[in-house]
Amino acid sequence: MSVQRKRLLKRASESLGRRIGNGREYSVISEQDEPHHMHGGRIQETWVYQEEYSNAMKLKSKLVQQFKGKALEDVIPGKIISNNQGACYCIEAECDTHIKNTSLRKSREVILSDLKLLSGVGPARERKLKQQGYQSIRDLTKHPIWRESAQEFLSRVDLKDVSSLQSWFNSRLPKSHPLAHYLAGFCRSEDFAIIDIETMGLFGRPIILLGIAKSRASGLGISQFLLRDISDEAGALWELVSHLDGNSAFITYNGRAFDIPYIQERLAYYGIRSSLNNPHFDALHFARRAWRSRLDNCRLETVEKYFGVQREIDIPSTLIPEFYESYLKSRNVGPLVAIVEHNRQDLITLANIFSKLYDEWNI
Amino acid sequence: MIEEFVESLKRFESYKGQIEHVEVIPASTACYGKLEEPLPKTIEDYLSRKKIQLYSHQATAINRLRQGRNVIIATPTASGKTLAFNIPVFEVMSTDQFATALYIYPTKALTNDQLQVLRSLEKETGIRAVPNVYDGDTPSSQRSSIREKSRIILSNPYGLHQYLPWHYKWNSFLENLKFIVIDEAHVYRGVFGSNMALLMRRLLRICEHYGSDPQFILSSATIANPQEHSEKLTGREFEVISDDGSARGRKFFVFWNPPFIDIDRTIRRSAHQETRELLVLNVSKRFQTLCFTVSRQMAELISRWTREDLTQKSPKLVGAVAAYRAGYLPEERREIESKFKTKGLIGVVSTNALELGIDIGSMDSVIISGYPGTFISTWQQAGRAGRTTADSLATLVAFQNPLDQYFMKYPKDFFGRPHEQAIIDLNNQYIDLGHVMCASAELPVTSKDEKYFSNLDSSLAALKSQNLVRETTRGYVYSGLSRPVETVKLDNISDRIVKVVCSGKVLETLDLTKAYDEAFEGAVLLHQGDTYIVTELDLATQIAKVKQEDVDYYTEPLKTIDISVIKKYEEKNESVNFGLGELEVTESYYQYLIKKYDEVIGRQPLNLSPLSFVTVGMWFTITKEIESEIEGQNLDFEGGLHAVEHAMIAMAPLYAMCDRWDIGGVSTPIHPDTGQPTIFIYDGFEGGIGISEVLYYAIEQLFTATLRLIENCECSEGCPSCIYSPKCGNENSPLDKKAAIIILEKLLNTMRKDSNRPKQQDKSSTHKKE
Repeated sequence: MSVQRKRLLKRASESLGRRIGNGREYSVISEQDEPHHMHGGRIQETWVYQEEYSNAMKLKSKLVQQFKGKALEDVIPGKIISNNQGACYCIEAECDTHIKNTSLRKSREVILSDLKLLSGVGPARERKLKQQGYQSIRDLTKHPIWRESAQEFLSRVDLKDVSSLQSWFNSRLPKSHPLAHYLAGFCRSEDFAIIDIETMGLFGRPIILLGIAKSRASGLGISQFLLRDISDEAGALWELVSHLDGNSAFITYNGRAFDIPYIQERLAYYGIRSSLNNPHFDALHFARRAWRSRLDNCRLETVEKYFGVQREIDIPSTLIPEFYESYLKSRNVGPLVAIVEHNRQDLITLANIFSKLYDEWNI
Repeated sequence: MIEEFVESLKRFESYKGQIEHVEVIPASTACYGKLEEPLPKTIEDYLSRKKIQLYSHQATAINRLRQGRNVIIATPTASGKTLAFNIPVFEVMSTDQFATALYIYPTKALTNDQLQVLRSLEKETGIRAVPNVYDGDTPSSQRSSIREKSRIILSNPYGLHQYLPWHYKWNSFLENLKFIVIDEAHVYRGVFGSNMALLMRRLLRICEHYGSDPQFILSSATIANPQEHSEKLTGREFEVISDDGSARGRKFFVFWNPPFIDIDRTIRRSAHQETRELLVLNVSKRFQTLCFTVSRQMAELISRWTREDLTQKSPKLVGAVAAYRAGYLPEERREIESKFKTKGLIGVVSTNALELGIDIGSMDSVIISGYPGTFISTWQQAGRAGRTTADSLATLVAFQNPLDQYFMKYPKDFFGRPHEQAIIDLNNQYIDLGHVMCASAELPVTSKDEKYFSNLDSSLAALKSQNLVRETTRGYVYSGLSRPVETVKLDNISDRIVKVVCSGKVLETLDLTKAYDEAFEGAVLLHQGDTYIVTELDLATQIAKVKQEDVDYYTEPLKTIDISVIKKYEEKNESVNFGLGELEVTESYYQYLIKKYDEVIGRQPLNLSPLSFVTVGMWFTITKEIESEIEGQNLDFEGGLHAVEHAMIAMAPLYAMCDRWDIGGVSTPIHPDTGQPTIFIYDGFEGGIGISEVLYYAIEQLFTATLRLIENCECSEGCPSCIYSPKCGNENSPLDKKAAIIILEKLLNTMRKDSNRPKQQDKSSTHKKE
């Protein structure tokens, strides 16, 4: 290649690097500023308060100092695991948080007593039917008009087919409806899989940490699959998939829009075929309905503070890509400590939120 | 009818001298073709029901496509290209129940228009194809069902660019992809074309991943290089089909020049008023007429004036004339299209929005108000007139600029000229790098991908050096801090859209640069012939508020373009001073004119924050000695600079493989950053696109070629072949051909003297080590 073409290529790549860097997906705003909707800008615009930002940057340099020259294994205990897609670093922990769930009997009762789940039944008609003595959908199997659809619904309930019930609910109720949460009573506790991922951005970039928490007798069993470098991504993805089966029921925070499609996208990126069409309880929708009026926003951190949880080490999620980027560049494992801890806390908080929601519904 | 009309115009005393030329393009009879194999019965039945006999070019296209070849059909407007590729697609749909096809159109309007064609073909043949549009307007609730059920999906390049990273959602569509149809393929030229070519490689790479190997069908207006163009656009081998077998009536192509209105014969009557008059004449004769204008505002004004005129002359026809342009809401456009098709409208005044294949049927007459800049466009527009048997009329109304006037003076030159080449550059490193980066976010990039991207190793190394990709055991994986498809743009159209709101309702939308021209505070905005006054343009919310008010004037903003050097990349300071670097190009809108029928009746100051963008450009200065020598010969120095700038831009595609519309230029007798007469040539793309850099390195060849072009041109004062530019912002004035020759000769002489002297140190501002 000629010297001139080399110069051109260098400038072209610098220009690209600059524009990609300018395109970072959050803005730092001062505490007085109301986060405003960007007009005509990117689809997903997030923000971080000035104070959070400077605290996070202070934390990063503190961690970098503290763990200078240390090896990953010495700082974050875990092990390297391999599978047929590659390898990754696996961190395991247990904690005594439990995922509260309602009994199958209770959720069945609550759900069947809502006649509006049948197409064509609105609040007025429901009142009328109840006056006529049709107290539950089970009763409606004898009704001349709603017999068929009541039978169809009841057969799904009897089969405990959560996926098909969820799609039924989605066509009749808002995603945030408490009944959609009560559906969780149809799942066995051991099938719950709380999932939360940390990424290098909003789609199209590597997932750097996949966290999964499962219910055990003693509490939550947490597994986190961390990328030592980007080469580990396929292995980490596969490790998560191996922890799931057809009965797994996902519990996430905004996972319908973010975590699950993101994982699917990355699996497809590496040409790994796997479908994640499991039952899915996205607690963000429920949290918004339950607490929106009491909170400024429904970010996980905000809800958590409302319940009085204080994190020792924390960084806003939006800054995780920068923390990981700094690890990749320097190989100093300090920033990873914050990322892993952040993810572990998110998983625990998610279990707590899921449980606390039952106290809110008053059914 | 048409012939009589033309004759009567010629005889009419007051039009004397206005018809500069009438070219009669003879009629041609139909040439039919034969298929090598019969079609499936349902398609056969459909054709015979519609009494369609296939023309030779249609039959050849179908035969070749059935042999598995990639085909480009480059025949004129209205020759039945669409049917030629829809038949083989539907045939495959009927034999392979899983087969899918992707149709790509350059605009959303075209996509919606063609959807109707495909739906009716599905209905007529009973072959299930479930055609649907998938683009930015598709409601998210319908998206997954379209991806899963539709076998023909219509979209546009901008959408595709956004959807490719989501390929997993398209897996069943992609696995079964049998055809990629690219309609209006001539549109993809210059930087836009190079981007499209790389987008196609990204698409093909993903198809390969899903195990499909689709066949390409391209359709294009007549261009000089259909073979090369299609092969560069897709990376595949092509069969060109350009022998038009369709029947056509005679066409009268009239060159119309507005008359002089002063004794000295220097000022001509307004071409806009002349256009209005011609349109009134055509419509009064009940010729269905499509009138093309060069701007949105003129489309509105000419339709308004025409209606005013008709109110006096034939009130019944007032409702039969309408304007049409981009920015109208889709339903509004569809209504005009269908009224035109059903002859509810006789006259439509349009921007080039109707130049591409929206199906509005064929006209009796087309008026082209001002040369549209390329032969490709002129013939596309003229092609809108013409029925299979009857005569048709096309009238080119000249503006007073030298380019339009040249064609009026030398019409033979116009009709003898070949169409432009569609140029695509596969070696542009800016474009290449951007798409390799996008690809790395779609699937890991490995050495297997060399067949899609040239110089892949060095591109990957460059991306890696910026941490935009990371090398992994699976290949190179994208790891930058924002989404690549947001940073890589396919063209330089602003994606900031301004909404025009009238009492709470959206009237129309326009992009930011258009809003600066048409929707500043105080502007008169025309919409469907009604006038609205802009009361506020809020740049933060991107909303322009307007109120309807009937006024008889319109507005036109005035702006200046300033260039400043922000960062020098390289510099050569010998006898001629050359520079290359980052430039900021600023357009300041300082005043607007209030006009009534082309007359300026007032001026108002304009308070708008300037529009500016940063790009890469090259410049060189011209010494005082050259300036005084030219002035000593009583030649126009500024005209010389301007002419050199135009001619260099005309020659640039030879070195930088771009379209001249991709480049901007400014020449000035004194520039604050150089302190000397300076010519700037810059990339018309935010952040630069690698054109000026190539020109900088090839400057001596570029000067030589430019000088040869001007010197050897047979004209005496300049012409479109040398120093006239079809996109000049100053009406091609001043221009001085002789001065331009002197400037170039002097520049080349000093450069040659310099290179014969012992080599001076290269004052490159980048590191010497490279």
